Amino acid sequence: MPGKRDNSHYQFLAKKWTNRHRELQSKIFTQHEEAFKWLADNSKQFVVGSLAGILLLTSPVLDKIPQSLSSAAAQVKTIDKKVFLVYDLRNVLPNEVRPLTPDEEKNVSEILSRSFDFSIQTELEGKRLNTTYGIIGQEQHLAKYPGDNMFTHFDNSNEAEKYWSYGMAPGLGAWGYFADSSGALTKKDIDREKYYIAVQTFLAPGFDSNPKAYTDFFKYRKMLVVNPQNGKAVVADIADAGPSPWTGKQLGGSPEVMSYLERFDGSQKGAVLYFFIDDPNDTIPLGPVNL
Amino acid sequence: MKNKFFYTRLIETTDVSLKLTEIDLSQDEKTHLTSLMEANIHSTVIDTVLSELSKEDKKIFLRNLVSDDHKKTWEHLNGRIGKLEEKIIKAVEKLKEDLIKDLIEAKNYRMTIK
Repeated sequence: MPGKRDNSHYQFLAKKWTNRHRELQSKIFTQHEEAFKWLADNSKQFVVGSLAGILLLTSPVLDKIPQSLSSAAAQVKTIDKKVFLVYDLRNVLPNEVRPLTPDEEKNVSEILSRSFDFSIQTELEGKRLNTTYGIIGQEQHLAKYPGDNMFTHFDNSNEAEKYWSYGMAPGLGAWGYFADSSGALTKKDIDREKYYIAVQTFLAPGFDSNPKAYTDFFKYRKMLVVNPQNGKAVVADIADAGPSPWTGKQLGGSPEVMSYLERFDGSQKGAVLYFFIDDPNDTIPLGPVNL
Repeated sequence: MKNKFFYTRLIETTDVSLKLTEIDLSQDEKTHLTSLMEANIHSTVIDTVLSELSKEDKKIFLRNLVSDDHKKTWEHLNGRIGKLEEKIIKAVEKLKEDLIKDLIEAKNYRMTIK
């Protein structure tokens, strides 16, 4: 059987030239942003409807990447579109991390809905969280079923190696175990633990008036969590309540969520956007979302 | 046949393309790298032109660019930027030098296979 062809030359060049192009685009966009914004606002013929879309039109690369190419090409496309998302969000987000105004939330949800092609909402069924823009902290793994521990928790050795150090939370998630036993564990249960977030459900406007209704609503509710600085996004589910307001953080992310978003705790902590996903038929899978 | 971009007649990429043929690449890989080279050239030209224009002229240039009207683009730019063709050629030549350096480096590159 022939050995796998070594395409390291290609990967080296694709990475280097993609990065070069990305940097050039960023430079152009940053230095001439006002002109691009003017074009986006004044060109009726462009249905793209965003600043990012206009920049895409001025670049020939995206529609020329062969679709048959492997993950390297897909990565190029992903990287470029993320850059545009970052720029679009930069135009509407405040400089400081604080609850967004209704207008800001509307602008952000429009950008996210357009970018990710599913319905992103600030409020669902008349319920919302205390904020949609906040500092995210690091959470630990949650026990998925009675008896789940660090030795049984991971699907494979790679995951164990990558995420072992975060440890297991001493208590259960807000809704208890994800399954009654290891035998009853489904992929959905596994993903719900893997891509969970903890949000301040107890601070939701109206929570105190009807805690049960709010708890039922928040249980495993899907949210799109976006790092506005790199455009990376995860479809996550609410599986825990927290953190306490005194921490200065507004939500927490599982080790897998934090790793994908490239968000860290401590001195390097940063903000994310988190909006409800309107998915009544449960068709949108949990996990990282590629643009 | 209409040129692809308003600057196409100024750009010669044979030297980079020839260097690409010295590397073991599949057809898809060559196509992809060629498109990346073109994208870098395009962005370099756009950056060169925009950097020479006033706030209002940048808007006119972008409008002409996306409407793909090469004649109008040149008429506008020639009235605004001195020695524009030379500036574009110089910027692209510098980019091509860098791309060729990358190609030489890539020939000696071996990725560690995990």
